[in-house]
Amino acid sequence: MSHSGGHSEMDRRTFLAGAAGAAVAGLAGQALAQGSKTGIDAATWTPQHIASIAGTAEYDTAAECAKIVPLNHSGRLTYWYFGPTQASPQIEHELDAQFWDAFGKLYPNIKVTKQNLSYNEMLDKLRTAALGKAAPMVARLPILWGVEFAAKGQLREFGPPDVGYTADEFWPGALKSVTWKGKTYGVPTNNETMALIWNAGLFRDAGLDPESPPATWDDVVAYSRRIKEKTGKNGYGMVARVNAGNTPFRFMPQLWAYGGGALDEAEAAPTYKTIYVNNTGSRAALQASYDMYVRDKSVPISALTNTQVENQDPFIAGNLGMMIAHPAEYAVMVERARKATGDDRKTADAVVSNMRYGLMPKGTARRAVVFGGSNAHVFRPDLVDGGLDLGAAKAIIAFATGPEWSTKMAWVGSNPGNLRGFRTKWMKQRLEQIKFLNVTTSMLPYGIPFPVLPQSAEIMNIVIPNMMQNALTKKMTVAEATDDAAKKIKDLLGDL
Amino acid sequence: MSPTTPAAARVGRRRIEPWALGGAVLLALLLLFSVLPMAWMLATSVKTQFAAVQYPPEWFPRHPTLEQYYRLLSPANEVGREFLGYLLNSLWVSTATTVLGVVVGVPAAYAFSRFRFPGRHLLFYAVLVRNMFPAVVFLMPLFIMMRWMGLVNTHASLILTYLTFGLPLSIWLLKGFYDNIPVQLEQAARIDGASRFKAFLLVVMPLSAPGIIATAIYSFITAWNEYVYALTFLNDKSRLTLPVGLQRFFTEFASNWPGLMAASFIMSVPVVVLFLVLQKWFVKALTEGAVKS
Amino acid sequence: MATSDAVAARERPVATPPAASRPRPGGVLARVIRHRADYLYVLPALGVMALVIAYPVYFTVYLSFFNTPPNLALEDKIFVGLGNYGRILAAESFHEATRNTLVWTVFSTLFAFVLGFGAALALDRELFGRGVLRGTLLVPYVISAVAAAYVWRWLYHSDFGVIGALLVALGLTDGPINILDHRSRVMPALIVVNVWKEFPFAMIMMMAGLQTVPDQLLRAAQVDGASAWQRFWHVTVPHLKGVSLVTVLLLLVTNLNSFTIPWIMTGGGPAGASEIWITHVYQLAFGRIRFGLASAYSVILFVVMMAMGWIYVRALTRGEDRSPG
Repeated sequence: MSHSGGHSEMDRRTFLAGAAGAAVAGLAGQALAQGSKTGIDAATWTPQHIASIAGTAEYDTAAECAKIVPLNHSGRLTYWYFGPTQASPQIEHELDAQFWDAFGKLYPNIKVTKQNLSYNEMLDKLRTAALGKAAPMVARLPILWGVEFAAKGQLREFGPPDVGYTADEFWPGALKSVTWKGKTYGVPTNNETMALIWNAGLFRDAGLDPESPPATWDDVVAYSRRIKEKTGKNGYGMVARVNAGNTPFRFMPQLWAYGGGALDEAEAAPTYKTIYVNNTGSRAALQASYDMYVRDKSVPISALTNTQVENQDPFIAGNLGMMIAHPAEYAVMVERARKATGDDRKTADAVVSNMRYGLMPKGTARRAVVFGGSNAHVFRPDLVDGGLDLGAAKAIIAFATGPEWSTKMAWVGSNPGNLRGFRTKWMKQRLEQIKFLNVTTSMLPYGIPFPVLPQSAEIMNIVIPNMMQNALTKKMTVAEATDDAAKKIKDLLGDL
Repeated sequence: MSPTTPAAARVGRRRIEPWALGGAVLLALLLLFSVLPMAWMLATSVKTQFAAVQYPPEWFPRHPTLEQYYRLLSPANEVGREFLGYLLNSLWVSTATTVLGVVVGVPAAYAFSRFRFPGRHLLFYAVLVRNMFPAVVFLMPLFIMMRWMGLVNTHASLILTYLTFGLPLSIWLLKGFYDNIPVQLEQAARIDGASRFKAFLLVVMPLSAPGIIATAIYSFITAWNEYVYALTFLNDKSRLTLPVGLQRFFTEFASNWPGLMAASFIMSVPVVVLFLVLQKWFVKALTEGAVKS
Repeated sequence: MATSDAVAARERPVATPPAASRPRPGGVLARVIRHRADYLYVLPALGVMALVIAYPVYFTVYLSFFNTPPNLALEDKIFVGLGNYGRILAAESFHEATRNTLVWTVFSTLFAFVLGFGAALALDRELFGRGVLRGTLLVPYVISAVAAAYVWRWLYHSDFGVIGALLVALGLTDGPINILDHRSRVMPALIVVNVWKEFPFAMIMMMAGLQTVPDQLLRAAQVDGASAWQRFWHVTVPHLKGVSLVTVLLLLVTNLNSFTIPWIMTGGGPAGASEIWITHVYQLAFGRIRFGLASAYSVILFVVMMAMGWIYVRALTRGEDRSPG
């Protein structure tokens, strides 16, 4: 079941050596070094390649699951995840329902209790639940969160072999995110990267080429300013809210592109011990945001309290030029337009037809994007509310991380975690149905996971946004803000 | 309603007193201050999502629509079902808290007022002082304790906690009431052969009805509006009360301001109505029970 | 009950106590046993309070001497003695939060009291529709803090808020202005919301107080030729000292504890400009999982509140002992 159809054995072995921490001398070229994070060579993982492997393989989900847990297994399952919300497109709701339906048919004797929690509150709830011995058996968590629970010793050791899959079926970056101190504590379910979205109509009105995105982050600043000056509308949909996941997902690529970062996570072989947040690259990145918010005033004033959701309304109303968002954003916009009436409908439809996706802007150092996604984890038996039914846990994880359902569940917003998923007929269907999917999937090799440390959540959700706010409100200068962040990160890593 | 006739009114008949004019102006301004935000809330709630995020804002909605209310209150769609669920949960928790609060608080207030047991001053002030502690600080220990008692994710954990919010004021109010009821009335009943408890039940309780009603209103409104504990203690979507449900609901799609305003409005209606209808009792209780000097 | 009802009712009913509770000589224990039936009346109330308060207080104090380890597991906590207290008292963020809390509490209380008092005075006359007026003015007090926070957040919105639009329409500013995202404007904005919510309470309390000002004194003063202001200052105000004190103290305590409005509207931002003690503690405990630090912080807040509580109780006691009139 090798996924590396077009790759040479040489690349794979070289990567594996690199991932083991050995020197990566001998890997030539930036793209290759970046690609080593995901084991896939960006040069070969092109939209054409992706299209060529789609629909070339068939897999039998029931058979694969049955090998691990017999289909008549009787028991109960508690499962927490952040599923479709009111803002999610209809198709996500449908697929979620289908997922549970299919699982129920495959394992009729497992009683399922599931909880769909919202992204911003799930972490706190899970922390409190684990502390109070009221945790679920299985939780599907965003990629950044698992390491905290693993470091606390609250997860049960569990990896792809436990559900009959091998490590090379998953992105190495994804596997890295489920590894703590050499042991594996989860299985990747899906992975995604974001892209830059822009309104070609607004670009045209501002005298910019409607079909090409800003190539670099400096261009983003310039375009944003131009759009504001020429059309009066906001250019870039900046997000700088504290305690919200949206913020680091949009700012870290900026930091990385300029050669900065929180720690050395963007390097080829990160040690997570060196602080990068106050180096020249990071300062340049923060300066760019400062220029947009303070100097040019070309972004929404409410950026300091906005989440991405608050960019959606202005965008569909034609009042925002660019934003960074998920692959799913197109579907969301289409639905929003569908709900509009009268004059609003015309505007919305125009925006939808003007919507374009492009690669994340480059910087002086690299092109980068956050390697996102989710993993499925199993909690330690004594922490689980009512005890752990290992069979049920294995069943749901085998089911969810297999090629069929990891593709289906990642339909609108993500990509299958299981690389075999890219060869299924559903992947082919997705490529045909979902506009811009080829662009977003081709960003995957540029993906950089957040530092795999328990303090990562705090660094990303609190320290970095606070740094942005300190600079954007002029409470501190850019240099002071970065130094302040560096000190906080140092304290975090040292002791608590 | 007031026993004293304000002196100023009589003087005012001869000329417009500057104070009266000032008072009227102040009242008018305060009225605007109080009402305008609610009016804007209402206006926003009947706009479409697009109309709501126009700048400059529409002062009067051009195409008012009740779609948000329909969505929130109709059991036919998912949103409506969730919202109605929150409503019912809030009703249940608030009512239970109120009833228990009365059952527990009335005897306690009576005892503090009438009895001379040792430590009564200390205990009374301890009960009052509880009000001082910031609620958020107790969240984690209380959660662990609720877990130990097996009450996590149940309404019982909230009801228990809310009891302690309402009890101090209730006991204080009611004690004031009982202090004002002459003990001779009960003594008369006891001379007639009633036991102490019966005298309490048949003579004193009816007289303290305004105080009890005030206590009940206060407990209900506090429980209905409480947010932080409900946020922490309840996980299950089906168990959430309105304030938490409201917030959860709308952080997921924070840009649906009309929906948010509609939900806020619906959430406020029961307590406002309750309060307006019963405010007479509440004020009376505060007057008689609280003001001592 | 020959003199005014008020006087008689306020007297303690010690004239002819039932035999059972007449004070008798004996040790404390003897008295406790004698009164054991009385305790039954208060037991449920005290039981609930003890459960929901005693344990958390103990646990918080206990935790305040520990630190959270890097892996965030409570079991592995590290003993640091009074280290947490030192860190908090020295931290710049604590000083900032303290400054903000002072501003928040003092100004919210001040304005709520002044407005409430003014409203009470204005309503203290036989007006047409007085009940309706009073009821309407009470609405902000009664609606949920969550709803209020969202409504005002919408009013203040930097891009679509109606307040910003009004300012532009009145010609005071050029474009939509930054209220909640602006470091120096955010506190006043939040205080306005808090005052909006709290002033009806002050109004009610002061209205109740105004009812107790004896009419005869006012009439007497008027006959003596005192002006409205002199009547107010020399007759009304002295009678309101007690109620005012209680109201202000209650307002202070409520404002020190008020969490929902700042949290939902700004979460302490931007860049800590609206961070008050309460939101800071919450963020420490639940956002950053620093239970030790948060516990120590809480203990510091306890001490402050206890001091306030002591003043509050003293004020009440003095109120009780003072003879009426």
